[in-house]
Amino acid sequence: MNHPEDHDGIDRRQFLKRVGKAGVAMAGVGLLSYRLYDPHGPSAGQEYGRGQVTLPSFAQAGKKPQMAIAHGADRVQSLNLAFRALGGIEAFIQQGDRVLIKVNAAFASPPFLSATTNPELVAELARLCFKAGAAAVRVTDNPINDPESCFALSGIGLAAQSVGASLILPKDAFFQPTTLAGGTLIKNWPILFTPFDGVNKLIGVAPVKDHHRSGASMSMKNWYGLIGGRRNIFHQNINDFIKELGLLARPTLVVLDGTMSMMTNGPTGGSLSDLKPTNTLIVSTDQVAADAFGATLLGKTALDLPYLQKAEAEGVGTVDYESLHPIRLQAG
Amino acid sequence: MAFGRTAGSNECLGENCGVKPQRLETCLGSLILLLLVGIAIGIFTQQSRYDEALFRAILASSPSAAMQSQPAGSINDLQSYLPEGMVVLTPGEEFGPETLSEKIDGKAELYLAAGFLSLRTQRFAVADQPEQWLELFVYDMGNHRNAFSVYSTQQRANAREATLAQFAYSAENALFFQQGQYYVEIIGSSDRMLERLLVVGESFTRQHPAVLEGIDELALFPEDSLIPGSIALLAENVFGFDRLSHAFVGRYDLSGTELTAFLAPQPSPAAAKEMASAYYQFLLAHGGEKAVMAEPIPDAWLVKVFDTFEVVFVHGSYLGGVHEAERQDLASALAVQLKAALVRARR
Repeated sequence: MNHPEDHDGIDRRQFLKRVGKAGVAMAGVGLLSYRLYDPHGPSAGQEYGRGQVTLPSFAQAGKKPQMAIAHGADRVQSLNLAFRALGGIEAFIQQGDRVLIKVNAAFASPPFLSATTNPELVAELARLCFKAGAAAVRVTDNPINDPESCFALSGIGLAAQSVGASLILPKDAFFQPTTLAGGTLIKNWPILFTPFDGVNKLIGVAPVKDHHRSGASMSMKNWYGLIGGRRNIFHQNINDFIKELGLLARPTLVVLDGTMSMMTNGPTGGSLSDLKPTNTLIVSTDQVAADAFGATLLGKTALDLPYLQKAEAEGVGTVDYESLHPIRLQAG
Repeated sequence: MAFGRTAGSNECLGENCGVKPQRLETCLGSLILLLLVGIAIGIFTQQSRYDEALFRAILASSPSAAMQSQPAGSINDLQSYLPEGMVVLTPGEEFGPETLSEKIDGKAELYLAAGFLSLRTQRFAVADQPEQWLELFVYDMGNHRNAFSVYSTQQRANAREATLAQFAYSAENALFFQQGQYYVEIIGSSDRMLERLLVVGESFTRQHPAVLEGIDELALFPEDSLIPGSIALLAENVFGFDRLSHAFVGRYDLSGTELTAFLAPQPSPAAAKEMASAYYQFLLAHGGEKAVMAEPIPDAWLVKVFDTFEVVFVHGSYLGGVHEAERQDLASALAVQLKAALVRARR
């Protein structure tokens, strides 16, 4: 057996020194890597670099949940009828209120395809808010497609501005990270927060649509448009995510438009063949109840939409919409 | 330069020779170390300012790897499909698997499950009439089976058959068809655009003549009582069973009752048997009860799942059966019919 000293001139001391140096170097690199290692990876919230925010509840405290279901082909008429049944919009919007209307403007799609909130409905809702004495009405969404195209082609932008509402298109600076208390998905994640500045009432207005992933897109799924970052990753856990959206956004009321429902190929649709005139419009302070009824317009029940069950279990609302004793009305 | 080598000798190097490093060596070594530290600091600084949007933009605006790898099938500038009198309304967009949901949101999953490669889309308008527009969507699905899958699972009710491709139909304001590996949607701003949509569609099929690649399974469904155009290819999670994918389903109208027959090709007869057994166990685990068939079929099981009946059988490499039939007798009858068609096809 050759001794190292015989072989290359290295003695035991030198060998041990070298091994020691190499060991220290390896340990140093390992320690440095360990200190720099982030097991969670970058979260979408980090890029916004600002403090955490929390959405307050906009629900009216101390009021029992209410619901009105108006049947008719004319959205404007149905909306007015539903509000009248609930004591007028004045029961929800008071003098000086600053209202945020969250529409579904997800796609650059024309109103006749019903993939987005109907512009006539937006205009009438904003008009009613002003009539009730609202000091300001804002309309916003963080669409899937290019925001300018979405608000232009859907007709929502023009409709909002035609009655004096402010249209707020999303910009990077408008997003701030939030963490939902007890949430498992909405953690340090950016939400469209700036439009909420000074707002004390929140109204969600959404169409009734089939949705390939979640089964349906209605009032609760509409809050997806408040989320920033790479939000599509939540499609993998869509039911829990929609439940968390329901916990995140506590609106004053929701308007669920099932005048023309997208029965198939949602959420984009694309063809008039995907639509069915279901001639129903729901106004409710309970978003879960509104969606549970909306499901019936799609030929489904609350049991078909797991996120409704999950939201009910978390106290967001009730799937038993009949327990709200909804007022049913027939327009025209 | 000696670099620790004894002058005039090649026998030993560096420390091994017991020679102290020269000043130049020390300087160069330090310089290299400094350079490495500088690179490390640079990487650390850059990665802490990582902006994924930059990479998304690159992905969205450059042809996908899949497109580049298929020059023969690659599509042309979408403008080239336009008839006279139409102009560009919006810039063209391209999406890959990572970005598809930025265009079609939750529906992206349907395409991704079926093997989606890329989407090119653009909006065009009639010259001087910007309110009369169409949007062209060209999905590259990689092969004709994948394209058929997304075509067939989205078929609209009340559709009118179109003749420009083997699988094509139009709705009031839209045209949908499959051509080879492409699934194409053309959405018009109103029903007044339909004629133009057809012209664009025909231009596409002319520029991309499809090699006639049949889908064998379509002919295996017995024609008697089959609802025309109802055969669809489901890409994944068929009937809620996550192991079952790429299954063909066909709807039948038997005595006024609608039933669904299915055929799922498997790699081998053994694999088909294993899949059938797994699906059978899945049904039993989800409230199913074993039932007896009035007219027994070899290698078949009948399961009563709450108020519906499910037949599962194996024929060669195929897993076949009937799904959620309201009546046991009709479920068995359709299963017999399907099995007989498979036997005939094998001859």
